[in-house]
Amino acid sequence: MDVDRSSVEREWLLHQTRRLFLKDSLLGLGGLWLATQGGRSASAADIARDPAHPWSVQPPHFKPKATRVIYVHLAGSPSQLELFDYKPVLEKYSGKDCPAQLLKGKQFAFIQGIPKLLGPVFPFHKAGQSGQWISDRLPHLEKVIDELCFIKSMWTDQFNHGPAQLLIQTGNQNVGSPAMGAWALYGLGTENDSLPGFIVLTSGGKNPDAGKSVWGSGFLPSVYQGIQCRSQGDPVLFLSNPKGVTSQLRRRTLDALAELNQQTAAELGDPETRTRIAQYEMAFRMQVKASEAFDITRESKRVHQAYGTEPGKESFANNCLLARRLVERGVRFVQLYDWGWDSHGASASEALNAGFKNKCAKMDRPMAALVKDLKDRGLLDETLIIWGGEFGRTSMQENRRGMKMKFIGRDHNPFAFTIWMAGGGVKAGYTHGETDELGFQSLVDPVSIPDFHATVLALLGFDHLRLTYPVQGVNQRLTNVTKPGSQVVKAVMA
Amino acid sequence: MHKSVIWTLAVWGTAVAAASAEQPPIRFNRDVRPIFAKHCTACHGGVKAASDLSFVYRDSVLGVVEPGEPDDSELMRRLTTEDAEERMPPDDHGGPLKKAEIAVIRRWIAEGARWSEPWSFVLPVEPPSPKVTQADWARSKMDALVLAAMEGHGLAPSPAAPPHEWLRRVCFDLIGLPPSLELWERFQRAYDADPQGAKEHVVDELLESPRYGEHWAAMWLDAARYADTYGFEKDPERTIWPWRDWVIRAFNADMPFDQFTIKQLAGDLLDQPGPDDLLATAFHRNTQNNTEGGTDDEEFRLHAVLDRVNTTWTVWQGTTFGCVQCHSHPYDPFPQEDYYRFLALFNQTEDCDQNDDFPKTKVAKDPARQAEVVRLEQQTRRRREQLNADGVRLASEVTSWQRLKPLELKPSHGTLEADADGWIRASGTLPVGVVYTLKLPAVSCSALRVSIRPEQDDPTTWPERGAVLSQFEWFHVSPDGKRQALAIKEVFADSLGGRYDPQDSLKGSADGFGGYPVLERPRWAVFVLETPWHAAGEQAADAGHFELVLRQKAASNSGTQACTLRRFALDSTDDDRWTTLAHDSRRQQSWQEYRRDLQAWNAIDGVLVPVMRERRTTARRATRIFLRGNFKRKGDEVEPGIPVVFMREGQPPVRNRLELARWLVSDANPLTARVFVNRIWGRLFGRGIVESEEDFGSAGLAPSHPELLDHLALRFSRHHRWSLKKLLREWVLSATYGQTSRITPEKLQADPNNRWLARGPRLRLTAEMVRDQALAASGLLSDKLGGPPVFPPQPAGIWKTVYSGAKWTTSTGPDRYRRAIYTYWRRTAGYPMMLTFDTPTRDACKVRRIPTNTPLQALVTLNDPAFFELAAALAKRMEQGGGSVDEKIARGYRILLLAEPAADAVETLKGVYADALKIYQADAELCQQVAKSPELAALVLVANTLLNMDRVMAR
Repeated sequence: MDVDRSSVEREWLLHQTRRLFLKDSLLGLGGLWLATQGGRSASAADIARDPAHPWSVQPPHFKPKATRVIYVHLAGSPSQLELFDYKPVLEKYSGKDCPAQLLKGKQFAFIQGIPKLLGPVFPFHKAGQSGQWISDRLPHLEKVIDELCFIKSMWTDQFNHGPAQLLIQTGNQNVGSPAMGAWALYGLGTENDSLPGFIVLTSGGKNPDAGKSVWGSGFLPSVYQGIQCRSQGDPVLFLSNPKGVTSQLRRRTLDALAELNQQTAAELGDPETRTRIAQYEMAFRMQVKASEAFDITRESKRVHQAYGTEPGKESFANNCLLARRLVERGVRFVQLYDWGWDSHGASASEALNAGFKNKCAKMDRPMAALVKDLKDRGLLDETLIIWGGEFGRTSMQENRRGMKMKFIGRDHNPFAFTIWMAGGGVKAGYTHGETDELGFQSLVDPVSIPDFHATVLALLGFDHLRLTYPVQGVNQRLTNVTKPGSQVVKAVMA
Repeated sequence: MHKSVIWTLAVWGTAVAAASAEQPPIRFNRDVRPIFAKHCTACHGGVKAASDLSFVYRDSVLGVVEPGEPDDSELMRRLTTEDAEERMPPDDHGGPLKKAEIAVIRRWIAEGARWSEPWSFVLPVEPPSPKVTQADWARSKMDALVLAAMEGHGLAPSPAAPPHEWLRRVCFDLIGLPPSLELWERFQRAYDADPQGAKEHVVDELLESPRYGEHWAAMWLDAARYADTYGFEKDPERTIWPWRDWVIRAFNADMPFDQFTIKQLAGDLLDQPGPDDLLATAFHRNTQNNTEGGTDDEEFRLHAVLDRVNTTWTVWQGTTFGCVQCHSHPYDPFPQEDYYRFLALFNQTEDCDQNDDFPKTKVAKDPARQAEVVRLEQQTRRRREQLNADGVRLASEVTSWQRLKPLELKPSHGTLEADADGWIRASGTLPVGVVYTLKLPAVSCSALRVSIRPEQDDPTTWPERGAVLSQFEWFHVSPDGKRQALAIKEVFADSLGGRYDPQDSLKGSADGFGGYPVLERPRWAVFVLETPWHAAGEQAADAGHFELVLRQKAASNSGTQACTLRRFALDSTDDDRWTTLAHDSRRQQSWQEYRRDLQAWNAIDGVLVPVMRERRTTARRATRIFLRGNFKRKGDEVEPGIPVVFMREGQPPVRNRLELARWLVSDANPLTARVFVNRIWGRLFGRGIVESEEDFGSAGLAPSHPELLDHLALRFSRHHRWSLKKLLREWVLSATYGQTSRITPEKLQADPNNRWLARGPRLRLTAEMVRDQALAASGLLSDKLGGPPVFPPQPAGIWKTVYSGAKWTTSTGPDRYRRAIYTYWRRTAGYPMMLTFDTPTRDACKVRRIPTNTPLQALVTLNDPAFFELAAALAKRMEQGGGSVDEKIARGYRILLLAEPAADAVETLKGVYADALKIYQADAELCQQVAKSPELAALVLVANTLLNMDRVMAR
């Protein structure tokens, strides 16, 4: 390696372009997929990962419709009955005792005995050219409703936050399985060699209920786990140099380290040493590039107005804008968690008629801005946006411990909920599936969690049965092997 | 292998054909089983056995194979037929086998179709000493076996490691810390005189160091999924560090692994548990506990029990047993019943996902009082059981029970209805705190029996939601309306169990008799009056009536689910034996002694730690098969036991955890010693002899050195009587371990992963070692042993947790610099530095960490303020010795690597020093952020560089 020891004044930026130990991995996925078509198409599991470059770009099974994902998870689960799933019959019987047959054999987190039905708390109307239903809580999102593809017939089999979040994020209600983002990174690699390929951003003041296991790598190697980046302090842990160490000095020590490690590699002959040299170079690039990627002050005033962003704060709006900046830079999977959607009615902050309204207001503008911004920049075609919670909310008003409650709220409902997707190969302005007249259970075209996972993987170019990893004698996959029969929901694909 | 006495290794028939002269005989596990596993078991295996044929079980294969007669075997016909309809495997399942594969199967059948269970299920046999070329190299049979394999692959040993390389390696491997310069100097002097003697001396010294237990405990904490919190949503704090200290003490005392096993799995079931033996069982209380509101206590109790089953199999048997939960094992001979019979062994403990982690034992602050604590706990439990047993006995003798049919039912919420037999059913919304007021005929009686039944009669639907009688009040109301409370002397229940005492149904302040958190079966309790009630007058109207007030305020599922009586009945008796029993004077004395013991226990200062506690025989749970692994769909009841494949002739029954633990460490168990020595081997040599340390089954990887593995397993369990220290001493003094790790290009090409051990191991430091080394080099490392977990510096905002107000408050003083093993471990937000260096989250059992090499690790050791602080302290040590810059740099290098740095390394580091010095001299403000003087600041940068060297990150 050519290091000029005497010249510390050397422009450190020069090193950014140094790719001595890194192959150029900016080849797009589609191109890579095409490149594999000459020979036999390799399944991702066949591809031995280079331990020095575990994130290098990998070809999927077939041509992907989406190459990047932004998954917005509203932890706690927003009420579909107050936002998208309009139920006039429920409105009509609001306040009446819930019919006994609906309750038979059902277990709830908090509801006891015989609760009362609760009609939509907010008025609904049809919007956009597609004429899809929406309530009055989301005036901005309404403007991009023709881009959205709703699935109103989602169901799960977990009715507590922790297990349900794990199930929808990892395919398993217990900890230990990789998150969807980890699978995407394992399967596709990432196109940016200076940023992690699976980035997690949180807002709402708290982490999701299930903790960091929802973005863990589970049984996959730990390099595929989501990296939680922060909107305050270092975006990536320990990205900043220690106090009193300038970039110039850091570069100087890294050059010395490279030299020392070259000496070691020559003497001891261990290939791991060369891997370490490469990893230290990538660390340095991350120090430079990640700081830039996370600096939203570089955005125009117009952009800040559209998103409602305030630099320096931890907010859902800031995270939406960051998500756009990250996918723009080739990050494979960006996961947003926003905490505070658990509208039981036990207190003002978690009541449909109080805290929920504020949450909607804070989510509406940036979410709509993200869809529009990606579209304006030509990124929406290849970027899949997913929006939703871990389950739905009951058609009944909650009566915790069998008592009437002070605020209006709904309990957890695993039997029906709504998610929507946009961009990346999904049918715009389309609604899939229906719930029953009371909005309590998925009725028409029900979509299970493994179906949903199979669909997202299909959009990314994978046959969900073939994207596997051997664990305990079984080729495990995102669509849980213990829940066979999952199907790609072809109807939502454009 | 033929010497083994295992009957499962039975030879089929007597017609064993003589092997032909040219070809060695077919070995089933080596030659045939892989063909079955690859081509057949997907359809004819454990999960799916099409046409009732499974290639996992001998009996099943006998249906298609005639031993000795390939031409008469259906299997051969189906493999070779031209008829595509009949030929196996079908075209859409891979098509016909290769000719060579068919030939192997033909020969196997011709030679008698000998079957053996998978290699790891067959008992280990001591191998003969191998023939080797370089015989003078081997120091032991272990070395000879390694050498034989090495030579077999055309490799020769590497030279012995230079003393600094060996010493640094052995220190990390035995105590997890680098050698001190003082030890290094001492070792060098002794080594010059007698190299092997010097090595032995150092090894003995390291094995006696208390640091030894701190190092080896880390591996066990991963396996035990140890953490300082419960896990799941709220992830509150759990005080279980006294168990972590128990593990450290056990390693330091070199507790034999058989004892270590028995105490952790079943210390509570020993006849005379020692002072530490209850605490040892906290091993299996490291399971997660879900305190999220509304989560089903029974579901998460079972989740913990399943985890205990799977963890026990992974840790002791290196076997993937978890998949048998839903279906028979796909490759290994475990039918599904095996899983539930084994689960039944773990299904009898008292814990049930309670928010307070019940049950717990007390760990006395003063260790001298621990024996007393254990004695009091055992004694109060026994005494309470005896007190209740008197009533259970009497209840079975009393025949005069008379059903009391209610005159009036008044629930505070919902509806109550009585049927013709006097069974009362509750329906509607029954909130927490519901009260039933019952009007009953006031008959003459000495006692009243309350019976509770599940709503459903079908036992496969049990358990049901809990049903607890929190408070029972009994009044007499005379015809003129005068209401008088009747005093109750005592309560007896069909069984004692769980966290509530039936006696507490008499208090308003606690919950009492019933099924909590679930109702597992019909229950009853007898409430005995202080003085028998004599009904007044001849006419019923003159007698007035009884009024019972039944208050129910227990709530399960973390306080959300009301545990109400939903189906119950009341009977009375006038048998005066109840009165006599309740007033018996010896009984009164027993009660006093019981309460005195409880008080004495309460008075002992200590912390409470969750442990395993077996339910009483009267409260045993029924274990049923879960259909497709779903705990809500249950099948037949099973009896406890071990898998049938291990049921050899003369095997004593395994009916509880203690018998299980003893079986695991008995000579009859083929796996325990192999699995454990393999794991230790993996820690020293980078990978196990069976690389898949967690799976010794057919789906795992085959051992690279099967004979070596058997030799080591027998050496450990028989010769060394399960002593880890003796085993390690032998290994680290071996020629194999003593080789240099320097790699020649030829060796790298011939054996990139060092499978054949023709060079010494070179491994990345573990997370604990990375931090501990920096602490040791900085001179700040605290040597305090054990105690509550500590909080070294961590970036703000890592602990953003739902609901919990828990905060990371950085430790001050020596606790800031404790060994990494003492770092507070929060399951949902582990210490970032350690996670980055591959520490598992401790959510579930992990027996092997797969080391990674990532840029995020570089950011930690370069920039983490907790690390930079240590670099600054190392720089001070470099400075303190004085001398030239060259000397200071060399000192830092020696502190970390023992050896003198090469000239070019010193040059490189001097370059950093000179450039940094220039910058810090020019910018005083910048300098002040690092150190007082520009010289020291520059040295800090050098120390920061040293601590990131590849050599420093490896051992």
